[in-house]
Amino acid sequence: MRHSPVEILDAKTREKLCFLDKVEPHATIAEIKNLFTKTHPQWYPARQSLRLDPKGKSLKDEDVLQKLPVGTTATLYFRDLGAQISWVTVFLTEYAGPLFIYLLFYFRVPFIYGHKYDFTSSRHTVVHLACICHSFHYIKRLLETLFVHRFSHGTMPLRNIFKNCTYYWGFAAWMAYYINHPLYTPPSNLRSSAGETGARHLCGKEAGSVTSPSTWPCGTCGPLVRSKTRKIPYPTKNPFTWLFLLVSCPNYTYEVGSWIGFAIMTQCLPVALFSLVGFTQMTIWAKGKHRSYLKEFRDYPPLRMPIIPFLL
Amino acid sequence: GIVPSSVVLTSFQVMSRVFLIWAVTHSVKEVQSEDSVLLFVIAWTITEIIRYSFYTFSLLNHLPYLIKWARYTLFIVLYPMGVSGELLTIYAALPFVRQAGLYSISLPNKYNFSFDYYAFLILIMISYIPIFPQLYFHMIHQRRKILSHTEEHKKFE
Repeated sequence: MRHSPVEILDAKTREKLCFLDKVEPHATIAEIKNLFTKTHPQWYPARQSLRLDPKGKSLKDEDVLQKLPVGTTATLYFRDLGAQISWVTVFLTEYAGPLFIYLLFYFRVPFIYGHKYDFTSSRHTVVHLACICHSFHYIKRLLETLFVHRFSHGTMPLRNIFKNCTYYWGFAAWMAYYINHPLYTPPSNLRSSAGETGARHLCGKEAGSVTSPSTWPCGTCGPLVRSKTRKIPYPTKNPFTWLFLLVSCPNYTYEVGSWIGFAIMTQCLPVALFSLVGFTQMTIWAKGKHRSYLKEFRDYPPLRMPIIPFLL
Repeated sequence: GIVPSSVVLTSFQVMSRVFLIWAVTHSVKEVQSEDSVLLFVIAWTITEIIRYSFYTFSLLNHLPYLIKWARYTLFIVLYPMGVSGELLTIYAALPFVRQAGLYSISLPNKYNFSFDYYAFLILIMISYIPIFPQLYFHMIHQRRKILSHTEEHKKFE
């Protein structure tokens, strides 16, 4: 078997960092990363970005050496991605926070509201319903993270955990403060009964979980799941997947819908603001996903919009 | 696009100035006769005259060393002066904001939302503590870089 030598240079300084002289041609990038870590243990594989060109895209872990356009000695450029933390850890932390924090406010733990309200309970049904909805939503997300999602990259940069947790925990606390406040004003019966919007909200969440990328038929892809064969996602017998007829990312559509439902149900401005911020971010993601679908599939259904049917 | 300054830093500065003028000085009339207002207005005025001359001359490719020197040296005094004026003005406005309940909304209300402008202003004042040193030392760093660069050019001539 002919072995190929591989040299690894720093993408910024072009300094030669490592020379591997006996790499098998069918070795994958993942194996090369492991070899590189042996000489530079501070750069564990998740932190390494190897590419063919200093300014080019990162090579995937599954890429095989001999299939790459390299000469007799392969030259790879290395960039340090910075300290990494696993997706699972980040997701679990950022979702467990809101679940716990909301309950602190719901049970009116001391030092949040005035002392005379400690451990009291609201007399409004909608407040209890809201707690159930909110808690169910985050429990669902935690379970998805643990048992359903498959991640294409195992890690993300460390500072993301601080950014993401601040966002989720901050908003959860802000919303929970008002909904569970002793002076909370529930929506009037004229607008819509709490039950109706609550039901709308719950449905939205259920629908969202069913259409989330992980539960799509195999071979489809979502923002987090990468599988070997990529096919256009299509509706199935499951009625919740019918939104695929109109939208590329129905999981985001349902998510936005359910938060808007929650906002209407609780009549709480911070919830509406949270929905708006979430909607903005999800639209950016959906548009990106939509664009990559269009690029990848010639016969992509023209009627579909990224996130809002016919509009956005 | 026209000058090489960072959009983020500059818009941050513009927003903070607009905030000082409209949301503090204009909104709280009692504060308008304070000396601190005079302090930051003078600091801003001098800074801006120098800064815009700097940009103009740079674009015309004829920058007198004096303007460059002034831009990267006078801030050492003007910046703290401006910040002091700003902080003192906000501080002076606080009791009037509290008394009038300015820009504040309290529970209960049908939007289930509350905002305390008094607390917000205090948070703004606290935010000066991490932000001011960063911007100040950034300018000092720029000064060292740009003025020593000119020195070297002069040596080669």
